Amino acid sequence: MTDHTHIEGLLARLALRDRAAFAEIYRLTSAKLFAVCLRVLKDQGEAEEVLQESFVKIWRAADRYQSNGLSPMTWLITIARNSAIDRLRRRMSRPEQSVDVTRLVFADPAPGPEARAIAGSETGQIMSCFGELEPRRAEAVRLAYLDGETYEALAARFDVPLNTMRTWLRRSLLKLKECLSR
Amino acid sequence: MSDTPQYDDDDRVLAAEYALALLSSDEAAAFEARLRSEPALRALYAGWVEDFAQLGDALEPVAPPARVEAAINETLFGAAPRRGFSMGWLWGGVAVAGLAALVYFAGVDRGPQVPDNPTYVAEMVGEDGSFVVTAAYDAARGALYLDHRAGEVPAGRVLELWLIEGENAPVSMGVLPEGRQAELIVAAPLAEKLRGATFAITDEPPGGAPGGVATGSVLAVGQVSDA
Repeated sequence: MTDHTHIEGLLARLALRDRAAFAEIYRLTSAKLFAVCLRVLKDQGEAEEVLQESFVKIWRAADRYQSNGLSPMTWLITIARNSAIDRLRRRMSRPEQSVDVTRLVFADPAPGPEARAIAGSETGQIMSCFGELEPRRAEAVRLAYLDGETYEALAARFDVPLNTMRTWLRRSLLKLKECLSR
Repeated sequence: MSDTPQYDDDDRVLAAEYALALLSSDEAAAFEARLRSEPALRALYAGWVEDFAQLGDALEPVAPPARVEAAINETLFGAAPRRGFSMGWLWGGVAVAGLAALVYFAGVDRGPQVPDNPTYVAEMVGEDGSFVVTAAYDAARGALYLDHRAGEVPAGRVLELWLIEGENAPVSMGVLPEGRQAELIVAAPLAEKLRGATFAITDEPPGGAPGGVATGSVLAVGQVSDA
């Protein structure tokens, strides 16, 4: 469904304010992005609002897409995921960071497509690397990404002190990086 | 700039924590400042985001209801084409497009639009008059047009607009995007509270006030009045 070059081409047309390309991107990606929002927010109405917000951002920021160094589908998913997390944190009055990926625009050239391919690992590789982690720690990283859980929430969920959770995550992330760059 | 980036473990973890949104606002702002000047760190961040995004492969797509796409189109393209746009302000990219493109895209989203017939207006002014933001609300589109006319945004901060209704706690209307003119879509429940309310602008950490409670200094205040 999400052919890399096709989405990339559509984003380029979006930057030129091409509404047909926008409709096509929506058709191709909205179900995936909606799933991402639903997973974070666990609320249909809020997920709909955030999906709407995400596509408004996508339309408005498409001309800045080229400068952020992310592959097209990752950029789209990240906009939806981070917008949903923003909403979640506001709902919970959490003071954690907010990342609007459309704001990440850099003056000097971003890594080109080859660098991106190197920067990110092969599709599916992260799954096998997760398999090398202790199951509860793998689950903690997954909850942080897919559910937007904070260190505090993770510590409570796994019933460990906050600093222990930070250590878990740190070790898991380094182990993942090591595995992913093999 | 180095072509052979050397990261230590702290940077690897920090980039992942930033990608996961686990940092505090201050830590995130500091990391973003480094991202701007360290391309190698950007590649590290991008690598993590690419890898984490694969976790989303496990999510089964869910088709959103048709009303979502309708609402998006209404927000972006619902307004009647506006002729004689005089602000000289267009979304980046459109300005550099060729003439043919400009003709073709006339009436499509051109960024914030000054309402022809605003329902409410407000002028927010700082204590010493050096910070001024004007606002005009277009009820037909549910859009609030904002024009930042004077005063600088404090470095590393963003502007956030607040609605204050009577004795109630300020309600965030949203963070103003970069640029002098901006447009915020006002949700219906908030729009009903505009009449007679007060607007205030504060400076907040990137991403807006933590927890929806204003933390920065009040840069400007103004009464909402009928246009």
